[in-house]
Parts: sequence; structure tokens; C-alpha cells
Amino acid sequence: MRLLIIEDEDRLSGILRSKLGDAGFAVDIAGSAADAEAALELINYDCAVLDLGLPDGDGLTVLAAVRRLGKTLPILILTARDAVEDRVGGLNAGADDYLTKPFAMTELIARIKALLRRPGGALGITLDAGNVSLDTVGRELAIAGTAVRLSRRELAILEQMMRRFGRIVPKAVLEEKLYGMDEEPDSNTIPVHVHHLRRQLQTAKASLAIHTIRGVGYILTENKE
Amino acid sequence: MSRHIKSLQFRLIIELAALFLVASCLAIGGLIYSASLTTRSLADRELGLRAEDLARHVSLDEAGKPRLELPSDLRDAYNAAAQQSVFAIRDKEGRLLEASTPELGATVARWPTADTEPSYFQLSRFGPSGRDYSGISVQLDSAAGSLSVLVAQVSGGNQLVHSILREFVFDVAWYVPPFVAVALLLAAYSVRRSLRPLRKASARASAIGPGSISIRLPEADVPTEALPLVVAVNHALDRLEQGFAIQRRFTANAAHELRTPLTIITARLDCLEGNGQLSALREEVARMNRLVEQLLCVARLDSVALDVSSRVDLREIAEEVIGSMAHLALATGRTIALVGADKPVVITGNAAAIGDALRNLVENALTHTAPGSEVIVEVGPDWALSVLDSGPGIPVEDQPRIFDRFWRGRGVRSEGAGLGLAIVMEIVRAHGASIAVSDRVPRGARFELRFRPA
Repeated sequence: MRLLIIEDEDRLSGILRSKLGDAGFAVDIAGSAADAEAALELINYDCAVLDLGLPDGDGLTVLAAVRRLGKTLPILILTARDAVEDRVGGLNAGADDYLTKPFAMTELIARIKALLRRPGGALGITLDAGNVSLDTVGRELAIAGTAVRLSRRELAILEQMMRRFGRIVPKAVLEEKLYGMDEEPDSNTIPVHVHHLRRQLQTAKASLAIHTIRGVGYILTENKE
Repeated sequence: MSRHIKSLQFRLIIELAALFLVASCLAIGGLIYSASLTTRSLADRELGLRAEDLARHVSLDEAGKPRLELPSDLRDAYNAAAQQSVFAIRDKEGRLLEASTPELGATVARWPTADTEPSYFQLSRFGPSGRDYSGISVQLDSAAGSLSVLVAQVSGGNQLVHSILREFVFDVAWYVPPFVAVALLLAAYSVRRSLRPLRKASARASAIGPGSISIRLPEADVPTEALPLVVAVNHALDRLEQGFAIQRRFTANAAHELRTPLTIITARLDCLEGNGQLSALREEVARMNRLVEQLLCVARLDSVALDVSSRVDLREIAEEVIGSMAHLALATGRTIALVGADKPVVITGNAAAIGDALRNLVENALTHTAPGSEVIVEVGPDWALSVLDSGPGIPVEDQPRIFDRFWRGRGVRSEGAGLGLAIVMEIVRAHGASIAVSDRVPRGARFELRFRPA
């Protein structure tokens, strides 16, 4: 799993290299827009982390150059929180996600893994969170090493939540995913499925909990011991 | 009224009206004057014709002496008792040949003989009825050689000519006021039309605000006289925009400079294996991150005008903010809920700023709500965005001061810097929105932002 960090601040890129290295990634550093473009052209990285403020240009120009080359690797942007125009501009220019500075290292690693898990992403077909492991192709679920059987709908919901682990999954997204599975989707379908799923996770002693964010959706987090 | 006097349009029209009035007075006066001239020249011509008529009837008799032989109707006319017209004919030596009355003959005998150019004369209180006469004296050739002929008639005697002329003058003069009125209307219209580019420019200028500083006044079609002003205004706007851009860059740079070391500290702390001391340190750094974030937000709101002209959906903003804060709430054992409208609630504003305001309110509410309880974000269909907590509420005596910078509630854990609500207030102000604080039953506070509809 090879990553490119495009960051001009040496101290920060050093920490990123060691931390992401610990997380099992091979990390290269590019300190300028020119270096970044050259590296991205030569090597097929699985993911890139791009800081928007670079000494020799805007990170967005790097983004545009990479996309022009036809590279589809996922790119995560690091930006200051108030630079909203940058954020919107970045996502429009072909970035896949953004993280505002300062960020927690665990959050960055989780986001990178989420990007790699996307359909077509480099990270395999298995989603892991806590003691739960889900094979998205074989539709096999293991909790604490034991295989658990779930209905198709519950599996689909769990997959969505694991793909966005620690972040909100809007109810509308779940409805969209289940549409076509349920012949007549109505507003109560999702809460009922989530309720069942929650019970099953509890029974199997999963270290995950599904929280309801009333009016918005659901969020899957790891239980605190 | 004073506004009218300052109006260029008003002044132009008033001055044009005055000009037209003077011009039409001059026109009417001139018409009357030239009409009276015509009357006189008509009278003069008539007298000249009569003189020629008389000269034509002078011939030499057998003795070779000049003699006047008038046809009977002419003779009757000159001999009429009223003596409307009189004449006298002399030869070139000045000897009287014939006169309509002896009195005239006696009068003219003293005068020099006439020239070929007619000369004019007046006779005051002449004749039996003592009237005024005006006439000409002219030298004419006749069968009896060159003669000096005088013809005069009672002044003002030609009533017909006078009355025709008078009628003509007044007929024409009547046309002048309506003509002036129409011309004035056309002038007013054309003044309005010529000022239209200026009105357009000022309409454009009134749309310029801190958030729309890139607007420039249209320079096309502006009258040359006003162009320097419009160009100068545009240049002033250029300089203003530059100033804004410099401020913006400075704020962005300051933000970057402060954030980078903080990001590095955060990352380094993450790398350390921790005990209790370390997690306390992490919390402190997190607090500092937040403080820097808020300080920068305040600085930004002070220095850079907020663009509040986009159409934004309050519900979408609420969903995004809740999405980004849910894990924070869950981590501290609290939850967030979104209630109210399930359709978009659209207003005109700045989505990022409203998101910042809401984030600060939610952070506040989470701080003041006991673990295990819920913070509610409510999107009202009446363009209201509320945050409800179940904390201790806000004492009435504190309510006027809670939006001051660096103000902190009594007995509150010293979490924040007291900037959150000040930021909210700035954003509310920039949107022309209102904020209301109230207590909830049985306990808690409710902050309601009410925006203007899109």
C-alpha cells in the first residue's frame, strides 16, 4: 500500500511518515508541487494526501494536473477549516475527501483506509472495525472470530456504516441502498432493520455500537471499555 | 424641494423652460415688429403707386405747358370733402402745377423739389378737420418731363391693411405657447433619456457592498461630462478591493502560521504512548486548537466582509454541522438530534458562516448539558435555526452580556475563551438576522437565530 504525502512542512511530513508507516503504509514525501507532480506521474500510488498550501503553488493545481493525467487514485486534502472555498473547490476539482487542520492522526488513518476501501479502491474487500470483520464480496460477517448470519438488508446497512465508520450515515443514503431490495420501502423500514441489527451485534458481543442521530441518520462507533 | 433643486434633471428642465419663454417672447415681439414694418411699407408702396398714377395723367397742352387731366373717379376721390388723400404736383423748378387743395399747394411751395428717391413727410393737424397726414414726395418722369409729385393720406387711414395684419399676427402668436409647451416636453424627455446611463450607474453603485466589491460601474454610454466621476469611482473601488484582498491574505497567512505548529504538536502527542499526564496535555492542546480557531474566526469576521448573498438551505447546514459534531457528542456521552422541517428551508446568506455559528452554539450546548442528555437542533419552516439544551439555562441578568467577547458564565468550567457567542453574534449581524435567548421548561436554554427569507 503506497502513499504519497504532499506537504511542505518537514516536521509534519516526518511525523506523518512515521505514523502512517506504523499503520502499514509505504510512504513517500513530496515537498513541493513540482516534486508531487513528477512523483505522481512516475509511480502508481494507491492514495495521496495533499496539503493545499505549497511553496511553489496551490495544491489545487497539483490536483488538476493529476486528474488531467488520467490518474484516478483517491486524494485526501488537508486544509484549514475556514478556507471553505478551498474545501468546496477541492472537492469540485477532483479530491475525494478533506480533513481540516489540526487533525488527529487516528482520524487521518481512518479516512485513508475508508478511501482505499471504496469500490475500486486498493484496500481489499474486507471491512474491519473493532472485532467485526465483513467480507463485502462473499457477504460473510465475523464477530470476535465467529461467523454470524444476517439478513441481506441488515448486511447492506452494516456495510454502509462500516464504510463510513465513525461518521454519520444519513438515513437517506440507507434508504437509497435498500431501495430495490424492499418492494415497498416506507419510512419505518430503516429503523426496524437498524433495531434488529443492533440486537444481533449485541448478542454476538460486537465491540461496535450503532447510535441514532435523530433527524439525520446513524453513526457506528467502537464501544469504550 | 431642496432635493429637486439639486437634481440635474430638474435644473436643466427649469433652465430650458426659462430659455424657451424668453425665446418665444422675442419671437412674438419680433413678429409684431415686423408686421408693423410691413404695414408701413405697404402704405408707402400704395402712396408710391398713387404718385406714379398722378404722374401718368400729366401731359403737355397745345401751348406746351404741363397739365393734369385726371379721370373723373380719381378726381372725385381727391376732391371728396373728407380729404382722405391729398396731392400736389410741381415741375422741376418747383412751380406748382396742381394741388388737390390750395392749402396744400401753399404748404409745399416752400419745400425743396423732390429727389428720384422717395422721401417721407408728415403733416400735423392739416386740412379742414385738422388731421395728421403722412405722405411721400418723389421725382417722376412724365410726358411733361420730370415732375415732383407729393401724395399724402390721413395717418392710419388704411384700416383694412391694418386689420388683416393684426389678425395675422395674433393668429400666428397663438401657436407659440403650445409650440413652446411641446418643445419643452421633448426637451424634458431627452434630458431624462440622456441621464439614463447615470441612473443605471447609480443603481449599480447601490448594489455594491462589502460582499460584492468586485462590481464596477458601467462606463459605456455615460455622458463625457460624468465619465471622469464614474472612472474615478471605479478606480477607488479597485483600490478598495486590493485592500480587502491584502487583509484576506494576511488573515489566511496568520491562520496557516498558527495552525502548522499546532498540527505538529497534536501529531507528536499522538505518537507518544500515554499516561494520565499525556491525555491531560492532549486535552489542553485540543483546547488551544479551538481557541486559535475561534480567534481566527473573530479576526476574519472583523477584517473581511462576509458575503451573505448565496442561497443556502438551513436544513442542509444543520445536517452537515451535526454530522461533523456527532462523534464529539457521542465521545462525551451526549447525543444530538435534528428536528423540525424535513424540507429545505432556503435563505440568503453564507453557509460556512452559519455553519460556524451553529457549531459554536452546539459546542456551547454540549458543554452545558449533562452526560446522557440530548442537544436538539431545530430548523423551523419560518427561517429559524434553534439550539436547545437541558443545562442550567441563562440567568436573566446575564442575558445582555453573553454575546460580549471573552465573557464567561459564572460557575462554568473554564473550558472556552468566551468567544463562541461573540462569533455567533457577529455572524447574525452580518446576515441581518436576529438572535433570541430563552429558558426551556423544566430546564435548559434555547438560542434561536431567525433569518430573513431568501
